[in-house]
Amino acid sequence: MRRKISSIALNVLLLALGIVTVYPFVWMLSSSFKQNKEILALEQHLLPQAFVTNNYMNMNAHFNFMRFFANSLFVTIVVTVAVAYTSTLCGFVLSKYKFKGRNLLFGFVLSTMMLPWCVTIIPKYSMIQSFGWMDSYKALIIPALFSGFGIFNMRQHITTLPDEILEAARIDGANEFFIFHRIILPMAKNGISSIAIFQFLWTWEDFLWPYLVINSQEKQLLAVGLKMFNGQYSTDYGALFAATAISIVPVLLIYLFFQKQFIAGIAASAVKG
Amino acid sequence: MFRKSHPLQSKSEILLRNIVVLVMVVFFTVFLIVPIGIAFAGSFHEWNPLSGTYRFLGLENYKEVFTSALFGKSMLNTLIFSVVVIIFRVGLGLGIAYAIYSPLIRLKSFFRAVYYMPVVTPMVAVAFVWKFMYNPQIGVINQIFHLDLNWLMNPKTALLAVMIMTIWKDFGYAVVMYMAGLYSLPSDALEAAKVDGANAWQTFRYITFPLLKPMTLFVVITSIIAYIQAYVQILIMTEGGPGTATYLASYIIYDEAFVKYNFGYASALSFVLFVVTAAFTLLSFKVSGTEE
Repeated sequence: MRRKISSIALNVLLLALGIVTVYPFVWMLSSSFKQNKEILALEQHLLPQAFVTNNYMNMNAHFNFMRFFANSLFVTIVVTVAVAYTSTLCGFVLSKYKFKGRNLLFGFVLSTMMLPWCVTIIPKYSMIQSFGWMDSYKALIIPALFSGFGIFNMRQHITTLPDEILEAARIDGANEFFIFHRIILPMAKNGISSIAIFQFLWTWEDFLWPYLVINSQEKQLLAVGLKMFNGQYSTDYGALFAATAISIVPVLLIYLFFQKQFIAGIAASAVKG
Repeated sequence: MFRKSHPLQSKSEILLRNIVVLVMVVFFTVFLIVPIGIAFAGSFHEWNPLSGTYRFLGLENYKEVFTSALFGKSMLNTLIFSVVVIIFRVGLGLGIAYAIYSPLIRLKSFFRAVYYMPVVTPMVAVAFVWKFMYNPQIGVINQIFHLDLNWLMNPKTALLAVMIMTIWKDFGYAVVMYMAGLYSLPSDALEAAKVDGANAWQTFRYITFPLLKPMTLFVVITSIIAYIQAYVQILIMTEGGPGTATYLASYIIYDEAFVKYNFGYASALSFVLFVVTAAFTLLSFKVSGTEE
């Protein structure tokens, strides 16, 4: 009996905390379907009293929001696929090949994760200018092709794969390119998906770098667009809620879809490290 | 050179390895080592890309960093911000993870997934949502608690408001970390405690919590690194204001570098911050080492 009461109490407590956690999302989503007069009304209701979708239409009429969305999606997918591939490849070489300087290289990769963004961003910005990459997606994609975090995690992951499989393939005459693409890549699937999900989120939410290197509005990304939109239409609350919802929902969907891999991925890297 | 030491390597292995190592070295040299060098050199110069100035100043920038009242204030803010957020992150994370871990809770993965949601949402967007929630006209926080506060415009509440938002966004990460830690605990230690008649609190205090120390250290260190670098929530919610109430160290760097274009001074600030990060990281290791 006592056990049952404490079980209920604990469940209620966790549920209450869960509601606090989810509430801002619900409030934002619900407000994005309200009229401005309802958002500003004295008497407030969580759910829209008059359900309207014109905030989403208005938002796009003021500002080509869907263009930002498509741009972000394009850049994020390219960077995510590239980082997943390069991290796995570098992780494979750093874990399964023995060569001089391997540990030095790995130690270096590890130390890159401690460096604050602010140390390198100014010189990188100057370099992009002198390369003539300003206002081009080259500036967003090329400096992001390799990730210290990705290489470190994939190296840890691939180390746990058995060497015997590689040896067997080699005896059968497979070359290393075949081994990497046909054996390592499929076997490292879990590790790759957790890296990919993280990279997707980071590229999607990155604000400063696209803000610095992309000048023309039609090439701009969503995070920057959201801030510009807020600066210009700071009183059209309904449209602001709609724009914010648009920039959150894709990542939330990806998370809800892949949450098992996501959580397993971050937990594994911490327990091992 | 490589071939001699490992005669059994195939041609394709040597080729693949050489390509990968070469590309990695080139990439990290161009986008990491060279920029660090340029920033370090720049930190000793008056460097403004708008006016095209690049003039040697010696240690002037660093002197300015250490005598700047704004930087002092921002370091104090960063310290308060980090300490408070980390305490709540660790406390909530550990408490909630322990509750979910207990046999009294059934929907374990449901709760874990819910608490982790804010962690995976973009900071820019989440900061806007909270900015609206704190808004005295339309904000839901004043409505729920029947308050009449202009949270983000009041110097007494602005930093607190940003901290609450950050705790909300980040505690789920600690929950997931501690859950991973709890599930990898050796079960014999917990069994032994049970046999010896330890109650739940004693087991937690003397067995579980000490065993989770590596995880606590991990969460604290990654949090220190993250909060010293935090600026997006400030940029969106307060822009450092009102006055200097919410200036954080990394926000000053953003402001100096990309609002005022003082690249030299911003570089000096960056290196100071880098040293501070490294020092705190080492300190955390040290503190956890001496306790044992």
